[in-house]
Amino acid sequence: MNLRDPESMNLVIGKVLRYGVILSGAIILLGTIGLATSSGLSDTAGVLAYNDQVPHDNIDVSLAGMIHGLVAFSAFSWVELGVIVLIATPVSRVVISVFLFAAERDRLYTLITAVVLVLLLFSMLVTPFIPGFHA
Amino acid sequence: MLIVEFVLLMFFISILAGMFGSIVGLGGGIVVIPVLTILMGVDIHFAIGASIVAIIGTSSGAASTYVRDRVTNLRVGMFLELASASGAITGAAVAAYTNSAALEAVFGGILLVSLVPMVMKIGVEVPESPELSGLSKRLGLTGSYNESDGRVVNYNATRPVEGLAGTAVAGVLSGLLGIGGGAFKVLSMDLAMKLPMKVSTTTSNFMIGVTAAASAGIYFARGDVDPIIVAPVALGILIGAALGARLLLRSRNTTVRKVFAVVLAVAAIEMILSALGVSV
Repeated sequence: MNLRDPESMNLVIGKVLRYGVILSGAIILLGTIGLATSSGLSDTAGVLAYNDQVPHDNIDVSLAGMIHGLVAFSAFSWVELGVIVLIATPVSRVVISVFLFAAERDRLYTLITAVVLVLLLFSMLVTPFIPGFHA
Repeated sequence: MLIVEFVLLMFFISILAGMFGSIVGLGGGIVVIPVLTILMGVDIHFAIGASIVAIIGTSSGAASTYVRDRVTNLRVGMFLELASASGAITGAAVAAYTNSAALEAVFGGILLVSLVPMVMKIGVEVPESPELSGLSKRLGLTGSYNESDGRVVNYNATRPVEGLAGTAVAGVLSGLLGIGGGAFKVLSMDLAMKLPMKVSTTTSNFMIGVTAAASAGIYFARGDVDPIIVAPVALGILIGAALGARLLLRSRNTTVRKVFAVVLAVAAIEMILSALGVSV
């Protein structure tokens, strides 16, 4: 595949999205089978109850908690991992676009996609910790 | 309701959500939120968390096909993402100081009004393409795609600044309310930039994944992404998006515009009802 060929950009980005979706779908499917078999007979009322405590005590969102859950084959943690892969898919698409435009020697679009990537990472990783953001 | 029943029901509804969302370029959230809150009695926080995942799933699942087949215009998408991403950060920054009900009423009203030019173009298969000039030429905002019957559609974008401004509004809305972004993206590309309808909806579909991912971190950290709700939604959405992408490629631009107009009307009414305190 010649990365200088503008046509190949569509193929590469298409593949990045497809692999991301297939990987996350497979992990979530694995977790869903676990969820449905382990808690299949319990009522949704107890599990879906929402409380205003952040984060909610019934969902462990810490990295350590998730890794522990993955090792212990907790269905919850596997679904969480699949969701993280899904969220990472469009992010990887932006990262790869920067390199593809650079390979094409398209300076304008290398700059545009690089700025988009910075804005995206700022929004994902920094704004959750700025007080007053996301009321 | 038992967990198994809930999971199966949400799975099948999400297939439909993914199909519609991938065709109109708004993501599956527009169906998933009201189904979860009204039919399933799920709290709005969990519904929005599931909707973010639904949007990313619809976007990536359908875009893998749309990008490969060159219906999505990558340059238009990347250029407009400058506006949607900065708009989303701005929206999140001012969210604490705004009245979300008033905003929903105003933007729901704007969506309703935008139905008029949308319906006036209802029979237009491919708009007359303007000469490529000025900023559009500098940015290479041009393209072509193949229809399923072998016809090649060539087009040029016009008024990139207006398109960028409309997309900034879309970004601010996503940051403020978590909803409504996709509709303004499609409208910007259709009404301002005069792209063929399928290019507008599939390029919006391509962009909404990035906008949703930008705010996914905060919802995830808050614990609003509940695995039991999100698992069947994500799986159904991915299947629906793959089916919807195939349907769109075989559809006429006029058909996509009609479906979009109906969904736009529903989205506008959802926003206005929500502003009036009806939980949707």
